[in-house]
Amino acid sequence: MPPAAPPSSSRSGLEATFLENRDKLLHFLRARGAGDSAEDLVQEVWLKISRSNPGPVAAPLSYLFRTADLLMIDRFRSARQSVVRERDWSDVHAGDAGASPEPSAERRLAAAQEAARVLSLLESLGPRVSRVFRRHRIDGAAQKDVAAELGVSLSTVESDLRVAYRALVEWKERSDEAPK
Amino acid sequence: MSEDDKIRAEALDWALRTGDPGFEDWEGFTRWLEANAAHAGAYDAVAAAAADAADLIAASAPANDDVHEDAPDLRPARSRRAPWIASAMAASLAVVGALWIWQAGSRDLYRVETAPGQVRTVSLDAQTRVDLAGGTAMAFDRKDPRFARLESGQALFTVRHDEARPFRVTVGEDSLVDVGTVFDVRSDGEDLSVAVSEGAVQFNPKAQDLRIAPGEVLQRRGRSGDYTLGKIAAAQVGEWREGRVTFDNTPLDAATADLARITGVAYVVAPGQKDRTVSGSLLVAPLRRDPAALGPLLGVRVREDGKRWVIGVP
Repeated sequence: MPPAAPPSSSRSGLEATFLENRDKLLHFLRARGAGDSAEDLVQEVWLKISRSNPGPVAAPLSYLFRTADLLMIDRFRSARQSVVRERDWSDVHAGDAGASPEPSAERRLAAAQEAARVLSLLESLGPRVSRVFRRHRIDGAAQKDVAAELGVSLSTVESDLRVAYRALVEWKERSDEAPK
Repeated sequence: MSEDDKIRAEALDWALRTGDPGFEDWEGFTRWLEANAAHAGAYDAVAAAAADAADLIAASAPANDDVHEDAPDLRPARSRRAPWIASAMAASLAVVGALWIWQAGSRDLYRVETAPGQVRTVSLDAQTRVDLAGGTAMAFDRKDPRFARLESGQALFTVRHDEARPFRVTVGEDSLVDVGTVFDVRSDGEDLSVAVSEGAVQFNPKAQDLRIAPGEVLQRRGRSGDYTLGKIAAAQVGEWREGRVTFDNTPLDAATADLARITGVAYVVAPGQKDRTVSGSLLVAPLRRDPAALGPLLGVRVREDGKRWVIGVP
């Protein structure tokens, strides 16, 4: 539970916003599928903001929602990853009795290969799609800034991202299904 | 559009919007989530796929550590993971390309080729030499004894290590940098194999940046195929120089190409069998006298067809 202390002037604006909007966040997390963990996750949001102390935030409420949303996405990702890992691990051991490949090199190679596959998948959607995705998702540029940079409209950037996301969902579905 | 498709399309739109740093309509998003219990899962699938791809790309940079399992970090994407890595990688790929063109322009290359069955040694300095197997084409640089290009075939490199001037081998678009080494490189058209018996080789330092240690063999089937890192007895690396060749679950087309190159016998693979695999270790010299002797040694069927010898798996 976050401390019950009332917001004081010594608290950052973010913490004050959290305390005022705690119920909204809880509501959001429940809608987001957190179920019984919603309370715990609200607390995790609180810990995040009180630990990281991100400094002045332009839109504190949005920041809190985003933090909660990312927590949920990460939860989904790590749950899925542990399932995939478990399966791959047993696959490796079933087919490879006795051999001991260097794990870090293997894993690194697999990641590099997967990254190359994703890059070429994005490239295959067109050079602009790939560029837009990277600027927005990896460099963290806002969609309107990417649009300005490339001299295209915001809706073009959105439709490029839509194309990229759709392909990535399919990539993920394929790689989750296929035994590695 | 089915209900599932509709949910998926909406989820994609929301992921698109929430992913932008400027997004503020969290209450609208909450309402959409509440409208149907399936919405949250559909949204997770899209958001996670995009995040996975972004992390993968960002993490797969040169000189970056392999495992990226930092605790979930919730700062906005801008500062989450070293964002420069991906663009640095893209940039370094471009630099490699540019450098290559520039070097090719400034290089003073000469070619050395061997006929099938022939072996030839090129000495680049007192302690650096390259043994070319039969049927191999290479290019060397008159001005730069620390460079070699394998165009096709197979070669064993015995390289004096020089920290300041690493020895570099290019094979197609791949590049190998020695870390003090004896290593064997083979490239048949699109397949690639790099086996190391001493020292180590750094494979594609600007991309995969993988270190191949003694007793390891890196193989790639096809130009864009997967890489596998396997084991190889160190004594087996470059054994073709002593007139021996070993196959270990080697695809038949690669084995056939090796045999043709090393023996000089016109072996070809039977139609439709290139992906069958063979294993075995054999001496080359007897095959020159009797190409059909290969049959019992590798467990294959060898049939004479005019001037060629067709190898098939029974």
